Amino acid sequence: MRTYFPVEELARDERFSKVNMRERMADPRTLAGDSATTTRKSRGNNNRLVPSRRDATDAARALMHGIFVGEIQALEGAGRTCHDFAVSNVPGTGPSGADSDPTTGNTVPFALKLDMARQAWDEARHVEISVKLSDWMGTEIGQFAENTVLFEAACSTDPVLRLAGVNRALEGLAIDVFTTMKDFGDLAGDPYLEFCEDWMLADEVTHVKMGSDWLRKVTENDPDRRKKALDFQNVVDKLFSYGGTRSDSEESPIGLARRFRELAGFSDAEVADIAAVSLAALDERKSSVAKMRDQAVTEMADQLGTA
Amino acid sequence: MNITVTPATFSYVEFDADLTTRVARELAASMGLDRDVRIEIDETTPLAKIIVDVPTAANEPIVVHADSGAFEDTRRPRRQSENTTATSLGRVLYRATDRLQGGFGEAPADGELTLAQMAAWETYSVGRLARLGIPVNQQRWRYNFRNRHGFSDAGDESFALLWSSDGLTWGELQAISERAISVGTPARAQVGT
Repeated sequence: MRTYFPVEELARDERFSKVNMRERMADPRTLAGDSATTTRKSRGNNNRLVPSRRDATDAARALMHGIFVGEIQALEGAGRTCHDFAVSNVPGTGPSGADSDPTTGNTVPFALKLDMARQAWDEARHVEISVKLSDWMGTEIGQFAENTVLFEAACSTDPVLRLAGVNRALEGLAIDVFTTMKDFGDLAGDPYLEFCEDWMLADEVTHVKMGSDWLRKVTENDPDRRKKALDFQNVVDKLFSYGGTRSDSEESPIGLARRFRELAGFSDAEVADIAAVSLAALDERKSSVAKMRDQAVTEMADQLGTA
Repeated sequence: MNITVTPATFSYVEFDADLTTRVARELAASMGLDRDVRIEIDETTPLAKIIVDVPTAANEPIVVHADSGAFEDTRRPRRQSENTTATSLGRVLYRATDRLQGGFGEAPADGELTLAQMAAWETYSVGRLARLGIPVNQQRWRYNFRNRHGFSDAGDESFALLWSSDGLTWGELQAISERAISVGTPARAQVGT
């Protein structure tokens, strides 16, 4: 079996339609449509995914499908990490270490592989749960386009970058998403959604903790590598904060689950950083929208003036 | 009956005004709607909001305002789905038809409907769309109804009644909705609204 599987070749049947992050961000409506201002008329400044939103049911269905495909990719990513790297139990062995894999220069401790195997087992269960929840909510498999960014973050040739990008950034986002969905189920009185999300949330906290612990152990004597990994995590965090989808602000559909992040091994400073990046992304979006609106008003005034 | 769609061409999305016109014409004919219909699509937003203005004057057209997400293929972003277009247009055109054909005079304006009232009316409309042959996922609408009326067997019975009904009045529709809320476990989010 080959190592380092490209995202384009992930096995999917005809029900699925994949889009990557670049395609998603290239949608001109993302800014021009201004969900921030359009929705403000009906929801005030609150865009949080709660049952009282008029579009709550469909928004929850779409998010649940996003969770479902995310779980598939998380399973694939954890499985690849079990397979892609040679074993070395010397902590801190890096690209130039004596025990490096000659192909990639990277190795992982055997216990890390065991954790990834356990995670793959968890993710497989989450896929099954997500399929049943989607069915319960009236969503068909593949009904929404699949964003492949999670697996893209799991394609790094450095296992430490995978831990930072997938286990800490994306599984960290999963903590925020599951908390939001769990609260949604609780408020709506949905007996299954709240229960299932709570169960999966517990696993996600464990996955993030694994990432936090292994990142520290493996880079114990390699501060440059640790910095590179944390920088990569910041990039992924920022990517997923695009448009302010997740932040402490009620204007974001998904909240930042601070308590569960603490349990998962994030320091107060790290949580504060993610909160700042998320809010900056939200402000960036609002600023872009305001500029576009001003431009449109100016263009219209010019046209009226010359008519 | 005249159907107009604006804009005629699209730059943000790959939509087809002719397809929208055809779908609207077929739906209106099936519903017995004999008013002109103007459909205004806001292609600058991916949201899926769709609203309808039903004028009282007989010579004025019904006006549908749709965000592009209301007609979009969720599998292929920015492309139009004929089925989604039919379902979205069908929901608002049935609501317009109900208001015009009588029995719904006491119904609040669309913007004043509670979440439960809207969910009940949507159930009634989509059930009829299904009988017109439009493919719909019944469970999606059952889940929407449950979110607004509570998750209970009695609520599901009310859903089934609305789904299979024809010729309801506003009073009958509202009574079914209220019964579901009273016997079910209303969502906590609905309390006080």
